[in-house]
Parts: sequence; C-alpha cells; structure tokens
Amino acid sequence: MYFNHPIFLVTILLLLIFVNISHDGGKDLRKWLPTLSIMSTLIILINPFLVSRGTTILFYFRGKQVTVEAFMYGITMALFIAIILVIFISFNIILNGNRFLYIFSKFLPRIALMIMMAIRFVPLMKRRLDEIGDVQRLRGMSMTVGSLKTRVRSGMLRIQILLTWSLEEAVHVSNSMKARGYGSEGKKSSYTPYYMEKRDWFWLFVLASLMVVCFYGGKLGYGQMIIYPELGPWQFFQFDWVVFFCMLILTSFPLITEGREKLRWK
Amino acid sequence: MARARASLIIATATVFIMLIVMYAVFNYHNYLLLSLGIIGGIMMLFFIRFEIKTVKTREIVILALLAAIGAVARVPFAGLPSVQPTSFVIITVGLVFGAESGFLVGALAALVSNIFLGQGPWTPWQMFAWGTMGMSAGLLRQFAGMGNLWVLNTFGFIWGFIFGWMMNLWIVFSNMQNFTWEFLVGIYVSSFYHDLAHAISNIVFISLFSMSWTRILNRFKKKHGLLEDPALNQTINRT
Repeated sequence: MYFNHPIFLVTILLLLIFVNISHDGGKDLRKWLPTLSIMSTLIILINPFLVSRGTTILFYFRGKQVTVEAFMYGITMALFIAIILVIFISFNIILNGNRFLYIFSKFLPRIALMIMMAIRFVPLMKRRLDEIGDVQRLRGMSMTVGSLKTRVRSGMLRIQILLTWSLEEAVHVSNSMKARGYGSEGKKSSYTPYYMEKRDWFWLFVLASLMVVCFYGGKLGYGQMIIYPELGPWQFFQFDWVVFFCMLILTSFPLITEGREKLRWK
Repeated sequence: MARARASLIIATATVFIMLIVMYAVFNYHNYLLLSLGIIGGIMMLFFIRFEIKTVKTREIVILALLAAIGAVARVPFAGLPSVQPTSFVIITVGLVFGAESGFLVGALAALVSNIFLGQGPWTPWQMFAWGTMGMSAGLLRQFAGMGNLWVLNTFGFIWGFIFGWMMNLWIVFSNMQNFTWEFLVGIYVSSFYHDLAHAISNIVFISLFSMSWTRILNRFKKKHGLLEDPALNQTINRT
C-alpha cells in the first residue's frame, strides 16, 4: 500500500472505475461487483474486531477495545483491494491474446506461445467435455445423481476420456506447426500492428516523470495518513496537493486520451 | 550454455536487487509487491531454463494441452465444493514427464484457469504453489516408493495442506501492517477445512485414477518419444 490517504484512494478507485467503463461499458466490472462489495464490507467490519491497536476507543466488545484507527485501517485496506481488483479487470480486458503474445514473445517466446495455446485449448476442451458429458449421460453415468464417490468417479472418467482424445490431436497440431516452419532456423518476418512513435515515447516520458514525483512524494510521507497508533490529521499539505495532482493525471491518462479521441471524431 | 548461465545469473541478481531496492525505497515496507517480485523472479528462472533448452515442437504442444486440461478439469466438478482434480493432473504430469514439465504445467494451469475465473494478486502465488507441486512430484519420482499407491496418497494428502498454506501467505503478506501472531494463526485455522477437503480429494483422485492416467501418459510418452530423461537417453545411446 503506497498511498493510504482515504481521499487519494477514493479518487483513484473512482477514476479507475471510469477507465473500466470506458473499455467495455462496465460489463466485466458488473460481474465482479457482488464479490467486490462483499469482500470490502467483510474487511471493513472484521478488521476493527480482530485488531485492537490504536488509541481512540469507540467501545468495548467482549473485553477487547474497538478503535477508530482499526476501523479506518479496514476502510483503506478495502479500498486498496478494490483498486487492485479493478486494475486487474482492466488488465484482463486490455491485454487480450494478440497483445499478450506481442509483449511476451520478445523475451519468453516459447512460454508465451505455450500460454496462448493453453488459453486457446480451454474453450475447445470445454466443448469436448460437453460432448463427452452428453454421451456419458446417455450411458447412465450422471454427475448430478448418485453418491459422492460415483459422481467423482464419473466426472474424472470424463476428463480421462478428454485426455486420451486430445493427446493424439496435440501431435497433429504440432505436425502442422512444423509443416508451417515453426522452430526452423533463420529469421522470419511477422506483421506487428503495434509500434512506438515519437509521441508515444514523449507520453511515456511524461508518465514516468509523474510516477517519479508520486514515488518521491510517497517516500517523504505525502499522500499518506498516519493511522496507528493514533489517527493523523486529514488535511493536505502543499506537497500533498502536488502529489495528488500528479496521481490524478497518471490514473486518468487513459480517460484523457480516449476522451480526446471521442471529442475529435464526433 | 554461456547464454543460459548469463540469463540465469541475471534473473537471480534481479531478485536480490529487488530486495535491496524495496528495502531502500519503500519506507512503508511494501511486502505484497516485494513477495510478488521474488516469486516472479523464482519462476522466471524456470521459464528461462525452458526457453534455452532444445525442445521439440510436440513437447510444447503437449505441455500446453496438459495445462489446459488441468485448468478445464475444474469445470465438471463446479457442483462439488472444494473438489478439483487440477492438483491430481499436475502431480501425475510431474510423475510421468519430470520436474520441469510438472512445474510448467502447474504454473500454466493456474495462469490459464485464472484467465477464465478471474486474475488477481493471488495468481502468482497459485502459479508458484501448483508449479512446485508438479516439480516436487517430478523430483521424487526417482524413488521407487512413488510407484506405491500409499506413498503417492500420502504425498497428495500433504500437498493438499501445503498448497493451502502457501495460498494463505498472500493474505498475510497483503496485510503485513496489521500483522499479529493471532491474525496468522486465525487465517491458518480458518483455512483448515478447505485444505482438508483438498487433501482428501487428492487422495480420492490418486487412488482411483493415478494408475490409469500414468499408464496413458507413459504409453503416449514412449510412442512419440516425448520429454525423456537426458540421462536415460544417454544410457540407451551408449548401449
């Protein structure tokens, strides 16, 4: 947790939610919303009862002190976890197959290929499992009725059938790859739809310097609130505002670029 | 070989540099980021090793396929809580194809299944835990006892718990500021039944299916000459 000032965290969370909505209208985010809200509420509620650090006592619960500080810490913790999850949801949307392979094929080409292949195999395997399941159901081997042992056995049998079915086919896949020249010596050219332009480098530099300011500010304790042992003041100091402003641009950068495009192409 | 050694040294050095940098720069010691960096560094060693090795195209496809099966294996068991045969698949792969393949399949299965179930800060931990599970199975296969069903069951049972204990660590590390021994014990106690279910389901899968799966994979390995021990090959070539 780098910044732990609640105002910082709330702003970051809101901005990231907007960024997420700008990707796909918040479709993925809505799927995660129940998990996210339950987890955050649990953390906020449980933390003050588990941890009795802090000096400002609200009340006693079974002889243990429940403090404002622990409560506050629970809130920052929950916000922090929510931020991480929202970032990962965006990450999943943005870093789709093509881009993932593009980035990782630079330094881990074989692993990247393997990951891509495994990702592609998953829907295929799911479809095959459905087919196998249909056949097995006709043969009277159900996953829904019977004792736990028979259910487990019939479920695993399906996966075993899937294994024997798919292993042979994997050899076909690799033969086809070989026929198309995978792994052969010599350089092959490939089309890459992504390249760095001068303006990309410029903005990368700008973002990096904003990041440095944020790190430096964080190191000096700006953007942070003292929670234990006693809740610190809420107020922002002068450099807090600078850090806050840098952080604001940094997190809303996708929104700014996307928004500008939207306005220009209207 | 020189290139291999150089990149391995670089990856190792990165872990140590990260330790120092994290300690110096973050005065709010950021244990979660630090732990993720170290785990990433350790896994990178395995990945780099695989990149450098000469591997057949077949072997790449087979490992990807096994990882996908490990990930998909969770689907038919979605109705049965805490029963998932992914660990069983990974252990079997480690036993048949060796430590490195076991690690790769374990790590990939975690990464790939999380692409569909939701990626998060727990992904590297899961990759690491399942990876080491496969790796340890591969390392221990040289002992004759691993062919024995009782030994294998004990192995699966123990790993059911170790996996859970490793996964608990990410919760502990993300809460480091809050750390008390009570908190640590609380987390480990609360995960006990979940770990027990994992351990028992490992036993069930191993005792029911370990024989047939090993036979299937072994036959396939022999038929297509996949992922064989270099040591074994040398003895065959010599004779």
